[in-house]
Parts: sequence; C-alpha cells; structure tokens
Amino acid sequence: MDNTKNNDIAYENAFTKPIIRAGRYTLLLAIPLSFLPVIYLWLAHGAIPPLGAILTGWFLIVSVYGSWYIVEPVSYFPILGMPGTYMSFLSGNIANMRVPCAAVAQEVLQVEPGSKKAELVATIGIAGSIITNLIVVTIAAVAGNAIIGVFPEVVVDAFDFVLPAIFGALFVMFSIKYPKYGVFAISVGLIILGVIRVIPIWLVIPICVFSTIGFAVKTHKKEKTD
Amino acid sequence: MSDYLEVANDPMLWIMALPAVVMVGLQAIIFTKRAFKASQLVSLTRKEAMHAFRAGAISAIGPAVAVFIVMLGMMSVIGAPLTWLRLSFIGAAPTELVAAQMGAEALGIEFGSPEYGVTAFATSFWTMTLNGIGWLLFCGLFTHKLESARNKIAGGDTVLMGKIGGAAMLGVMAYLTTGHLLAGGGRLIAAVVAGLTMAVLVKISDSVPALKEYNLGLAMVAGMFVAVMFV
Repeated sequence: MDNTKNNDIAYENAFTKPIIRAGRYTLLLAIPLSFLPVIYLWLAHGAIPPLGAILTGWFLIVSVYGSWYIVEPVSYFPILGMPGTYMSFLSGNIANMRVPCAAVAQEVLQVEPGSKKAELVATIGIAGSIITNLIVVTIAAVAGNAIIGVFPEVVVDAFDFVLPAIFGALFVMFSIKYPKYGVFAISVGLIILGVIRVIPIWLVIPICVFSTIGFAVKTHKKEKTD
Repeated sequence: MSDYLEVANDPMLWIMALPAVVMVGLQAIIFTKRAFKASQLVSLTRKEAMHAFRAGAISAIGPAVAVFIVMLGMMSVIGAPLTWLRLSFIGAAPTELVAAQMGAEALGIEFGSPEYGVTAFATSFWTMTLNGIGWLLFCGLFTHKLESARNKIAGGDTVLMGKIGGAAMLGVMAYLTTGHLLAGGGRLIAAVVAGLTMAVLVKISDSVPALKEYNLGLAMVAGMFVAVMFV
C-alpha cells in the first residue's frame, strides 16, 4: 500500500507537476507569438486596421465562438486528460485528429481506461498526431498545389466524407465497450438535434457529454451497491 | 483583390509564423520526453511507448490529408504562410474562415470582394489571432483546475474515471455523428458504413491484435469511398 502511495507521489513529481508548468508556459507564450504576423503586417506594410475595427472584429468573433473557449476544454477534458488538453488546445484539430489518435493509441496498447498508464499513452499518441499534422501541413503549404494534381478526383472527393466516417467509426468502437452509454448518448443526440432542434449548438455538446457522464456515474454506483 | 495576396504571400511572413509553429512541435517533444521519463513508474515499456507514438502518428494521416485538401482552398484566400500558421495551431479551417469573414465585416467589407484589400486582410488576421487566444488563455490558466475537479468527481476510483472518459467520448461522438446522420445522403452513408466496418474490424482484431492500429483508418476509408460511390 505504501508502495503505491510512493509511486503516486513519484508520478506526480516526475510527470503531473512538470506537465502543468510546461503546458501553462507553452500556451501562454504562444499568445504573444501568434501576434507576430499582424505586427509585421503593420510595421512592414502599414496594414493596420483602425482600433475600432479590431475591437468590432473581436466582438463579432467572440459572439460566435466565445462560449466554445470554455465549453470545449471542459467537455473534452475527460477524454483527452490533463496533458492532452494542453496539447490539443495549442495544436487544434481536436475532434477530427487528437481525440481519435489518443483513442487508437490506448486501444492498441490495451491500457486500463482512466489509469496513469492510459494518460501517458494518450499523451504520446497525441504527440505523434501533432508531428504528423505539422509535416503534412508544411508540405501542403509549400507544395500543396503541385501535389494535389497527382490525386485522382475520386480520392479528393472522398475526403468530403472523412468527418462522418471518423465520427461514426469511433462511436461504434466505444459503443462496443460501453453499449448502454452508446444507446443513451445517441438517443440524447437524436432527441436534441432531430426533435427539439432549438438548443444552441454550443450547449448541445456539454449536454450530450455531461448527461452521458451522469448516466455512467449513476449506473456505476448502482452496480457497486447491487 | 490580387494586391493583398501579394502581401499575404510575403516571404517574411513565413518567418513571422515560424515561432508559433515551432512552439507546437516543441511542446509535443517536451511532453513526449516527460512521458517517456515517467513510463517506468506505470510499467509502460519503451517499446510500448514507441508503439503508442507510432499509432498516434499513423492514425493522424487520414485526418491530416483531409486538412491538406481544405488548406489549398484557404491558401488561395489568405495566402500560404498564414494558412500554414493557422492550421498548425489552435483552430480549424472552418473556424478560421469564419474569423476572416468577421474581420472583413468589421470594416464593412465583404470577404473576397474587390474592395477586400491589405487593411481588410490585416483585420481578418487580427480577428483570427484574437479568436485563437480565447482557447489558449482559458486552457493555459485553468487546465490544472479541471484535473482537480475530475479527481473530486471520481474520488480516486480509477474504474469510474475510465467510465467517465468512455461516456464523455460517446457523448461527443454521438453529437458529432448525429449531425451527419440527420444530414442524410453521402454523410449518412459514410457514418453508417464506417461504423459497421468498425464493428466487424473490432471482432476480427480480437484474434488479430496487430490489426487494431489500422481499425480506424480502414473503417474511415471504407466509409469515405462507399459514400463517394453512391453520391
């Protein structure tokens, strides 16, 4: 018993604490770095909008995405874990890339969900996906227009359907593990999006996530007492 | 219209975009190193850790190629260097294009119209940048708080923690899939075919574990191509 406790402390010191420090620094430092291009446009090309226009643009975009700044991290946290959240919200492409890659890495290594090992495996899997994305995006930026001609048209068209295919496949993969939660979650989704239809989208994600979590916690406690 | 594109493709902009892109890669490397160092504490072997990295890297290829295709359209409106920055970074193509649009609207100009010049382009980019910092700021400041909140809810019960993760995953995927199911047509076909393929692959990979790494990629390709055949 003492051993596991020592191990927990060692893990906290070797991983959790340094990750929080590094995650915080990298994200907060990325903020000034992301302003370099607009500052350059101003200094080198004199392209600076009036302050009023910058603030109006900011206001408009916050009115569209402002709630997502909080809703997404909170909703994805139970899937991505702490290190995964720091990485995913710096690198973007969360639902279509980070989440599937973390899931596949954990699946391949057969880790116990929710364990520390699962957390490390997700961290490493997400890192792998970030490196792939950086390579592909860099190739596309430099030589994309030359390369795209090589793909047959049907291949390019097929990529219109990449999102429904990934989401459908992941939904089934996890429904096989947790059939009850799967049925519950898809029913909630269908009722909200197909029947009720008036709930704003930014509220739909947390409703789907937290109602399913609530259902899981409830059934788990019931199973424990039975 | 073309004069702002000259500015947008200014070679110096690659250099200006570089530090933020490097930060993304650097963070991934720092986190991986930390995870490798901590691995013996949770009996994760080096070989397994390498395997996890490979699984993540391979599974990202399909989605990354999709980003590649979307990128080409985006490069034609905001230039190559800044597309490179925005798609290596927080955000995704649709988010960035909405931000570009909002920036133009803030100046009273239509995105892509002949009046859309260098200043309008700068406003678009200010809007994208300011939008991105919303997530960076929230996660930079509060991610560790989410960790303590989760630990409180699960109360140290790792089985429950795993179930919470599974339930959250199903909640998100149910929401994302439902949108495509209700859209019908190719999107419905892609989601259903990929889901059925996954069900078959999960059964097969119970006896052929080496297949697991490719399940998602294979299901994705099946869904995409069946959908494109029918549409």
